[in-house]
Amino acid sequence: MVARSWLLASLVVLALALVGGLYTAIGAPKSEAADGTNQSIAVESGRQLYLQGCSTCHGLNNQGGAGGPSLVGVGQASVVYQVESGRMPLANAAAQAVRKKPKYDRTQIDQLAAYIQSVGGGPQVPGGTLDDGQLAMGGDLFRTNCSSCHNFAGAGGALTRAKYAPALTPASARVIYGAMLSGPESMPRFSDTQVTPEQKKDIIRYVRYITHAADPGGSSLGHYGPIPEGLVIFLVGIGGLVLVTLWIGARA
Amino acid sequence: MSDVSNGPSGNQESVRDRLKSPAGHGEQSGPGDSRGSDLSTSDFQQTDSRTDAAEAVGHGHGQLVEHGTTVLHPGKRVPLDDAAARAAERKVAGLFLLAVVGVVGFVVCFIAVPFDFGTDYSPAYTPLLGLFMTMALVGVGAGAVLWAKTLMVDEEMVQERHPFASEPETRGEAAAILAAGFQDTGLPRRSLLRNSLLLGAGSLAILPVPLLFGLGRFQHKEDALRTTSWKKGVRLVRSDGSPVKLGEVAVGGVETVFPDVPDGNKAADSASLLIRMRPDELVVRESRKDWSVDGHIVYSVVCTHLGCPVKLYEQQTHHLFCPCHQSTFDASREAKVLFGPAARNLPQLAISVDAQGYFIAQGDYSEPVGPSFWERKS
Repeated sequence: MVARSWLLASLVVLALALVGGLYTAIGAPKSEAADGTNQSIAVESGRQLYLQGCSTCHGLNNQGGAGGPSLVGVGQASVVYQVESGRMPLANAAAQAVRKKPKYDRTQIDQLAAYIQSVGGGPQVPGGTLDDGQLAMGGDLFRTNCSSCHNFAGAGGALTRAKYAPALTPASARVIYGAMLSGPESMPRFSDTQVTPEQKKDIIRYVRYITHAADPGGSSLGHYGPIPEGLVIFLVGIGGLVLVTLWIGARA
Repeated sequence: MSDVSNGPSGNQESVRDRLKSPAGHGEQSGPGDSRGSDLSTSDFQQTDSRTDAAEAVGHGHGQLVEHGTTVLHPGKRVPLDDAAARAAERKVAGLFLLAVVGVVGFVVCFIAVPFDFGTDYSPAYTPLLGLFMTMALVGVGAGAVLWAKTLMVDEEMVQERHPFASEPETRGEAAAILAAGFQDTGLPRRSLLRNSLLLGAGSLAILPVPLLFGLGRFQHKEDALRTTSWKKGVRLVRSDGSPVKLGEVAVGGVETVFPDVPDGNKAADSASLLIRMRPDELVVRESRKDWSVDGHIVYSVVCTHLGCPVKLYEQQTHHLFCPCHQSTFDASREAKVLFGPAARNLPQLAISVDAQGYFIAQGDYSEPVGPSFWERKS
């Protein structure tokens, strides 16, 4: 597997160098053929991975089955979200899929995604940097669209019937983008016409900022805000003072 | 109280000795006397006479001294050369010096440990500051407690308060002045004046009675609890003011919308949720068929229980969930209450699409939004 990844990577590098060289040398338009070849290699590798790991539930031709829904038209965004966050392959049936250690590496995820994208298309997470948006704008959008379920600090929260909005701390920029675009499980979809790709990057920047902010006071208490903080101050702080006072009084 | 140290050999005597000291009796104000230096001689006479009374009671079990002060437990001065006392003194001094170390450590930490929120961040910064501050405060506090417990004269005494009431003569005099003043007004003698005053002042009581029946033409006309800022033809806009166009929200998507009127996004009763689902998933009664557009349906986000924002939408089950008390509504069935304490369905806003393809309201909500209120019939 590793050897094959290296082979693929070197092939890609070679092809890119070739294309780049050609472009600078004679100003020719980017070669469609080379790109197409890489794409079809990725799709074919992805299909192999799919047949081994996913087809039991989702069907040999993505048509879905007793165990899982059809994947026609879900797009690359859905694969990035589900596989990169470790939710797929599913460990066991529950109210909703739980985040696990991913089963596939980045290259394999991209191959799987290329294959699913080739079958019926669907929304796609763009390449490049995704968390370089505007922080303040992202905060505004997050509080309007996301905070009702995911909590204003991205700590997550409960939904109905054992479902929940997960905490956003472990989610990578690609996973957050994929989630917004594909609307996995209970989550509403936020299409590019509703929340533009720039706004999605703003939101990602904000989410990464609040979930990875330093906690100068020590324990963050889950970032749930002033109510648990006040509770701890009341119970531990004031309670401790009362105990010390009692102790001093008993000694006097 | 500072007068106490004015005794002839102040700092060599116990408090009790000083209280007994005959010197400066006239100017001395007793410890704990709240009236301070304004005490007249007669006050002292009063206090002294009460002391005599207390003395008569107190003689049985305790000792009694001047100014109404009863010593319950006489204390003893610890001699300067007592070994235990010197050890205790060193301990107290050590605790006070610990406070100095704490302060110095705090200042050094504050300057030297790198801290810049979010970028250059040492996790030890806040705990170290806290540790040194604790050292400083605990050093002074514990030192003072130890000092009081080991080295100070441990004497317990009680001083009675003087009575709060004035002298009977003073009170009688004040009453006489008031009575004379009342006579001077002429009211007791002039019955016309008295009766007309009673009538005039009494009629004031009738003034607020009309207010019980509303404010007449000043009564406010708009019915704030029954109406919102939505009006016929008003566009549905996002919180940043941009209008929502048909097709922008994907199936399974939601958008928080506000009326396109000045400060519409600040009107707490007007916030609404636009939900898009597949048209075949939507089950509404016949009379509301034209309230939604192609699977787009709008509900008030103000919970009918206690007014929390109901914005937790699950796109697969179409559940709308209130985070405060877990009321659950079915967005695909006119926001019917599935679970929880909510009294009614969420009100639905009738929408349509204008010529440019933007969503508009067909009018205000057909029923009051939010929680029940007294005058509400249903």
